[in-house]
Amino acid sequence: MNYPFWDVPHIGSGWVIGLIAIFHMMIALFAVGGGFYLVLAERKALRENHRDWLEVLRGHSKFFLLLTGVFGTVSGVGIWFAIGLANPEATSALIHNFVFGWAMEWVFFIVELTTAAVYYYTWGRVSEELHLKVGWLYAAASFFTLFIINGILAFMLTPGDAWLAVAGTGQEASRFWQAFFNPTYWPNLLIRTLICASLAGVWALVTCSRIDGERQPQLKTSLVRWSAKWLVPSFVLLPAAFVWYLWTVPESQRVLLHLGISTIGSGMFTQVTRMMLIVGLTSGVIVAVTYVFAWRSPLEFNLGQASTVVLLAVIATASGEYTRETLRKPYVIGRYMFSNGVRVATVDQLNADGYLTRSLWTRQGGDPKRVQGEAMFRGQCMACHTVYGYRSMRHLLGDRNRDAIGNLLTLLHDYKPDSPYRAFMPHLAGTKEEIAALRDFLATLNAPASPPPASKVKKIAAANK
Amino acid sequence: MKALFSSIYSWADERLGLEDLVQFAKHKTVPVHSQAFWYYWGGLSLFFFVIQCVTGVLLLLYYRPGPDAYDSVRQITYDTNFGWLVRSVHSWAANLMIAAIFVHMFSVYFMKAYRKPREFGWWSGMALLGMAMVFGFSGYLLPMDDLAYFATKVGMEIFAAVPGIGPKLADLVRGGPDVSEYTVHRFFALHVVVLPAVFVPMLGFHLWLVQRHGNAEPPSEEAKPEAQRQSESFFPNFMMKDFAMWLVAFNVLSVLAFMFPWNLGPQADALKPAPLGIHPEWYFMSQFQILKVFGDWFPGKLGEILGIVAFTAGLMLWLLIPLYDLAQEAGRRARRATYFGLFTLVALIGTTIWAYLVL
Repeated sequence: MNYPFWDVPHIGSGWVIGLIAIFHMMIALFAVGGGFYLVLAERKALRENHRDWLEVLRGHSKFFLLLTGVFGTVSGVGIWFAIGLANPEATSALIHNFVFGWAMEWVFFIVELTTAAVYYYTWGRVSEELHLKVGWLYAAASFFTLFIINGILAFMLTPGDAWLAVAGTGQEASRFWQAFFNPTYWPNLLIRTLICASLAGVWALVTCSRIDGERQPQLKTSLVRWSAKWLVPSFVLLPAAFVWYLWTVPESQRVLLHLGISTIGSGMFTQVTRMMLIVGLTSGVIVAVTYVFAWRSPLEFNLGQASTVVLLAVIATASGEYTRETLRKPYVIGRYMFSNGVRVATVDQLNADGYLTRSLWTRQGGDPKRVQGEAMFRGQCMACHTVYGYRSMRHLLGDRNRDAIGNLLTLLHDYKPDSPYRAFMPHLAGTKEEIAALRDFLATLNAPASPPPASKVKKIAAANK
Repeated sequence: MKALFSSIYSWADERLGLEDLVQFAKHKTVPVHSQAFWYYWGGLSLFFFVIQCVTGVLLLLYYRPGPDAYDSVRQITYDTNFGWLVRSVHSWAANLMIAAIFVHMFSVYFMKAYRKPREFGWWSGMALLGMAMVFGFSGYLLPMDDLAYFATKVGMEIFAAVPGIGPKLADLVRGGPDVSEYTVHRFFALHVVVLPAVFVPMLGFHLWLVQRHGNAEPPSEEAKPEAQRQSESFFPNFMMKDFAMWLVAFNVLSVLAFMFPWNLGPQADALKPAPLGIHPEWYFMSQFQILKVFGDWFPGKLGEILGIVAFTAGLMLWLLIPLYDLAQEAGRRARRATYFGLFTLVALIGTTIWAYLVL
């Protein structure tokens, strides 16, 4: 490990990325779908002479510009900070492989941001044809940002055999396009495009809900219903797109969806399966609720109801992102790098030379064994676990004593083909001494707590009365 | 197909008078205004109760009260297909139901929906809330894990603190001086026989009153002339929205049940010390804290008695609000009653948070 460790108590570094990413996705996917919504709505208004639509669209484009241009961009940068701190090795691998991909992405970002601002500020100031062209330019640029980032995100799950064949040789960039158009690229793009359309409709409903239905019943009815229609494509096509996606996912990852309780904790399903079910359920509920609130009663459709739809969309997006992230386990980059940042190809070397020999960031002073164990914990466990909070080590270790913890670590270290942990836990790398130091450190985490203070003892006595 | 459905409907209508119900529902209206959102909470409470009935019956198929209680819940959670999910939905829906009833109660209060002629709606609603809390309390013990056991022990102290009859009452409920398998039997009987037998008719009475008097309008709406007030038909408009809210509630419930499955702790062991920070469920924390505070201020029996008296006095004031907040002038809020409601709301939330902070 060449980088310092980032210790985020309680929620863990993964959830820092997760929270920023969920917030970002709600806006970034809207940035793509919303561009098409605006330009198609404007075109429809001009063609069918709905002049009253244009004023609403102008307001919506302001909301759109603020949300995507401020919160979308800031949270996008936030993801960069977070992933760089939480998993620097994986971030480094992505940058080295896709540096030109990101260069292209930023070109389109600049076009996107510029045209979004121009689109808003030129309402009524340039000809309607030119304004539409600006809108189309924005829509195209924003779609290309999705087109590019999708390659990098899909790569993390399925880098593809062609790229893996040269991984670690310094020739990775020669397989850029194979890595980019990897096995899950197209189904992933279809899914994201459909979600973009849905979120365009969901956010547009927020704007539409604020139209005064008593004063402008015709306008509100037509715009609310037209916006609600944007949810239809995803409702119809997403199930098929998802089946296609799963078909392209390697069997080793697909198995995570039907693993049972014996592997990943409480419940008869794995967490990722439960999350996937939430995605399906919530998507159905969004459509049903939109039908009842917006389509059936457009005039009474209010901000509270629109916010309910947004909240449901947040649940669906968050669950979807969680599913996608978890499906990669035990890797952070499929078959190339484990979720603890250890490259698959370097495990043998780390086992022989030691995991910590390359670590510049271990604590100085104190008991050397404890320092070693803590450094192992920070380096190889903390990417996914915390001590007391999310995926708490204390909770997961339960009543295991030092020997039982040692046996568990041996299972993870040996990583035999029939190990049940292989499905979702990374290969634990390091020498025997390092593993023993980690065992001793973990044994201190779930050791019986020290006696409670006298005030608490009084309470216990009272409860036992 | 349409003709077939029509003939079946005609056959049933001739015998059951379905058309009368449809016409009644079509003519029934619900007010439309800026505070109409609060009308959904009664329906949401009912929805969670329906979920409780369905999941409760499913749990009943496997649950064994008595000495096997813990083992049967362990089997439900870990061995029975979807058992963990049914149990988790049941537990989460119980909490959401009580939360929804609280929201419903306060919205009814602040809309002044307890005033003439809706007094019995208020009282029957309060009775339903009380029974829902007892449902929760009795159900909490049934798994007989250590948390359930010790939390019930603590909860029973509230009973025991009632002056005079308290200790005897606690012994009667527990089936002895301590929480044991007899307590599980008694709580089980209470939970699945006695309470439903009383709750369901009371719920029917409450719903009948709602149908009879209709939805109350808040004072700000009542102040408007009749021509300016808006309404929508109950069937199908409001009912569809009600169902949509149920769907949203179902979604929230599913997220909670799926992502935070209800835990089963180690088996209860009376000889072990109570875990640190043991406490009753959240909806009893306010009472728990009030009793504790009075106990600290006035050590001994006096504190317990004063705590109970203070709490009972507050509850009586709350219950009897329809009898002393009689202001009927259109649009005029009885300010004192509103202030009392705000005070109660803040006190309830405040003491609950306080109770968790000092655990």
